[in-house]
Amino acid sequence: MELFRISRNVWGQEILQGMSWDLLPVFFGAGAAFIICHMIYRWLFAPKDEVDDEC
Amino acid sequence: MSVEEFSGPDSRAYQKLIRHTLTDRLFHWGTAASVLILLGTAFFPIMGWEFAWVSIHWISGIVLTLLIAFHIVRASFWQDIYSMWVSFEDLKNGIDLARWNLRLSEAPPRTAGKYSLAQKLIHYLFTLVVGITIVTGCLMLVKIDTSWWERDPYWLQEGTWGIIYVLHDFGALLLITMLMAHVYFALRPEKLHFTRSMIFGWITRVEYEKHHDPSQWRVDTD
Repeated sequence: MELFRISRNVWGQEILQGMSWDLLPVFFGAGAAFIICHMIYRWLFAPKDEVDDEC
Repeated sequence: MSVEEFSGPDSRAYQKLIRHTLTDRLFHWGTAASVLILLGTAFFPIMGWEFAWVSIHWISGIVLTLLIAFHIVRASFWQDIYSMWVSFEDLKNGIDLARWNLRLSEAPPRTAGKYSLAQKLIHYLFTLVVGITIVTGCLMLVKIDTSWWERDPYWLQEGTWGIIYVLHDFGALLLITMLMAHVYFALRPEKLHFTRSMIFGWITRVEYEKHHDPSQWRVDTD
């Protein structure tokens, strides 16, 4: 998986075009993984008293 | 702070205490709409949905920039900017909260002021990430033609543009993860009163006394 988008200019030099769009599912997956992990933690492990521990 | 009362035997417990004024709610939902439009116009074409996205994207970016500028001025001069300040007490409560969650302590942590430490930290993170995308996005406006200026792709060197693109893209990608977490917490059952207050403005006195420390966030009462 590439981290960056790179192209070449008219002189054949590499130029940075931005982040690779292959990372789109990675960031989406990271959000989904965080949500699933937090839900499992809350269901199974978290103390039951309710406090404001998240945003 | 405004106060509105229900009628009935539990009127005091269910007093409506205003947590977010109409201006703050309009700012929040205006920001949310512009960020969603920006993310949609950025990523839908990449995912294969072709449409003329550039104009919608940069106009939404300018709307977001103006909204953030309005918020900075309003928060600095017309609101209590220290309500978002991370104090030593916040950090201590954060440690207590972590210890309680890890079952290293049996005493639940103290309640927070208007905003919890987690809410303050996510606000700072949004400030940083949205700030980066706004600054880089404003610089990228130089490379498009508008009614007010002509594009100048040679304003900066290629290498500098590359760094600007990377920062802009990274901020946009990170916003996807952050928005997912933000919406998830907003929809959690124990957080719905916060979400309601961002829609209608108010929380009840019961919620205020349960979730907030009156010594850190005082509300006016009759």
